[in-house]
Amino acid sequence: MTHAIEAVGLTKWYGKRRGILDIDFQVGEGEVFGFLGPNGAGKTTTIRLLLGFLRPSSGRATVLGHDSWTDAPAAHAGLSFVSSEPGYLGELTARQQLDYMARLRGLTPGAWRAAAERLELDPTVPIKKLSRGNRQKVSVVQAFMGQEPLLVMDEPTSGLDPLMQREFLKLVAEVRAEGRTVFLSSHNLPEVERACDRVGIIREGRLVSVSTVGDLQASHWRSVNLVLAATPPPGTFDLPEVRIVAADARDVHLMVRGDVNPLLRRLATINVRDVSIQTLEIEDVFLGYYEGPNGSASRERPAGDESAMASASATAGETASAGESATATAGEAQR
Amino acid sequence: MMTAFRLELRRGRMLVFWIGLLSALYAGFITLFYPTIIENSADFEKMLEVYPKELMAAFGIVGSLSDPGVFLNSYIFQFLWPLVAAIVAIILATRVAADSASGFLELPLSTRLPRLRYLSATIVGQIIALAVLAAVTVGSIWAVDLLIAPDFPIDRLALAGVHSLAMGLAIAGPTTLLAIVFLDRGRAGGLAAGILVQMYLANVIAQLSPDLTWLANLSAFHYFDLKPVIDTGTYPTADSALFLAVAIGGWILALLAFRRRDLAA
Repeated sequence: MTHAIEAVGLTKWYGKRRGILDIDFQVGEGEVFGFLGPNGAGKTTTIRLLLGFLRPSSGRATVLGHDSWTDAPAAHAGLSFVSSEPGYLGELTARQQLDYMARLRGLTPGAWRAAAERLELDPTVPIKKLSRGNRQKVSVVQAFMGQEPLLVMDEPTSGLDPLMQREFLKLVAEVRAEGRTVFLSSHNLPEVERACDRVGIIREGRLVSVSTVGDLQASHWRSVNLVLAATPPPGTFDLPEVRIVAADARDVHLMVRGDVNPLLRRLATINVRDVSIQTLEIEDVFLGYYEGPNGSASRERPAGDESAMASASATAGETASAGESATATAGEAQR
Repeated sequence: MMTAFRLELRRGRMLVFWIGLLSALYAGFITLFYPTIIENSADFEKMLEVYPKELMAAFGIVGSLSDPGVFLNSYIFQFLWPLVAAIVAIILATRVAADSASGFLELPLSTRLPRLRYLSATIVGQIIALAVLAAVTVGSIWAVDLLIAPDFPIDRLALAGVHSLAMGLAIAGPTTLLAIVFLDRGRAGGLAAGILVQMYLANVIAQLSPDLTWLANLSAFHYFDLKPVIDTGTYPTADSALFLAVAIGGWILALLAFRRRDLAA
C-alpha cells in the first residue's frame, strides 16, 4: 500500500522541553487514521511536523511522498488542513474567510457552499460574532470544501453539537468512500471509533500503540450501570472481562471490556429496569498508558471502590497494550 | 501570492486611512501657517533666540523658520513623519508575529503557498502602505501650498517624499526581521520602538555637545535631513541608499529566517 503519510523516527524538542519522541507510523492511501491522545500528549506537535510548520529535531515525515519540511508546499498542494484553534480573522465573514482559503487552495470561490449548507453555517456573519461551535463549523466546512486526496484535521469537532458531530462523521465516511485519506486527531474516543480504520495512541510524546479500531474497542472498558427489579442470583455477573465495581442490592455498577454481547445475553435472563452503557472518557483509557510499564497498582484496589473505576480500566488498557491478558473478572472482584 | 497580498492590503487599509487622515490634517494645518511664519519671521526668530542654538539644532531648527527647508523639515518631516513611519512600520511588520500567535498563519501556510511568497506579500504590503502615507503627507503639503504663497517646489517635495519613504522602509525591514526572530509582536515591536527612541535621543544628545557628535552617526534620524532637498533640490542619495540597504537587508534576513523557522513553540 502506498503511504499518504509516513513518519520515521520523528522527534521534536523545544529546547529541553519534550515535544514528541521517535514516532514511527504510516497512514495508507484511502485510510481513515485516528490519532488519539490527551491534551499535551503531542498530537498537535505531530501535526505541525507533518505540515512543515516545525522542523524535526530528528527523523523525518513524508506527506503524499513529499518531505514535510523541505518540500512542504508540494505536500500542501494535496491536502486540506484544519487546525484545532484556527486563528480566523474576526473582521472577515465566514464567506470571506472561506473564499480566501479556497483561492489559496486553488479552488473556486464558493466551493464551500455545499458543505456549509450541510452544516447549517451562515456564511454572512463576521467570524468575531460566531459562537465557538459555529467557528468550528467554519473549520469543518474548510476541511471538506475541496477534493484534496488527504485531509489532516486536528480535533475538528470540539465545540460542535451532537447533530453536527454526526454530520461530520458522515462527511468523513463519504471522503473515505471516495478513496481519500483522513488523518484525524482527537481526544474523543467514540468519534474515533466510529470514523477510523486504525488508531494511533500517543502519550507523553511517544506513540504507544497503533491498532485497528476493533482491537481498540476490545481493549478498553465500558461502564455499565444496572437497576434491577430484584437482587440478582449469585454468580450472575461471573463472566470473562466483566468486573463488579459496586453492587448495592438492585443497583449494580459493572466494568466490561471488549464485547458486551455476553453480558447482554446474561442480562436478558434477569429482570432489568434500567441499563446504561458508557464509554469511559479518553483520559481514563489513557491512564493505563500513563501508569508505567507495570501498572499494577489498580489491581490491588478493592472492588466497590468508585475511585478504582478509572484505575481498573487504566490497568486493563495498559495490560492490553502490553499484549497481556486481563485477568480481573467478576468473580475476583466479588472475592 | 496575489490572494495573500490582497488580504494584506485589505487588513492594512483602515490603519493607512486613519493615519493618513491624521497626517494630512496635521501637515496641511502646519503648512497653512507658513505665510504667517514668513510675515512674522523677525518676531519668531527673536523668540527662538531665547533658546540655546544647540537645543534648536537638536530638534532640526537650524536657520530661519521662514526658510521652507527649515520650516517643513522641523515641523513636519522630522516630527510627524518619524512618528507615522514608526507606528505604521511596526504595526505592519510585526503582524506576521501576531498572526503566528493567533494561529492565522497556519491557514495560508497549510496551502501550496510557500512561506517566502507569503512573507514577500506582507513586505510588499508594508511598502505600499508607507508609500501611500508618504504621498499623502507630501500631497497634503502641496495641496495646501496651492492655496498660499509662496509656493514650495513640487518636485523637491516629491523628492522629500521619496527620502521619507526610504526612512520608513528602513524601520520596516529590520522590524520584520525582529518579528520573524521572536514571532512575538510585543517583543519585536517593543524592541523596534525602543531602538528608535534611543536613536532619536542619540541624535538629540549629539547636537547638544561637541564631544558627543559621533553619537549622531548611530542614529537613523541623522540621515534624515530634508532641508537640503527642499531648499536646493539636492537629493541625499547616500542617505537614501543607506536606508534602502538597511530595509532590504532586514527583509532578506527575515525571509531567510522565516524559511527555516519553526512557526510555533
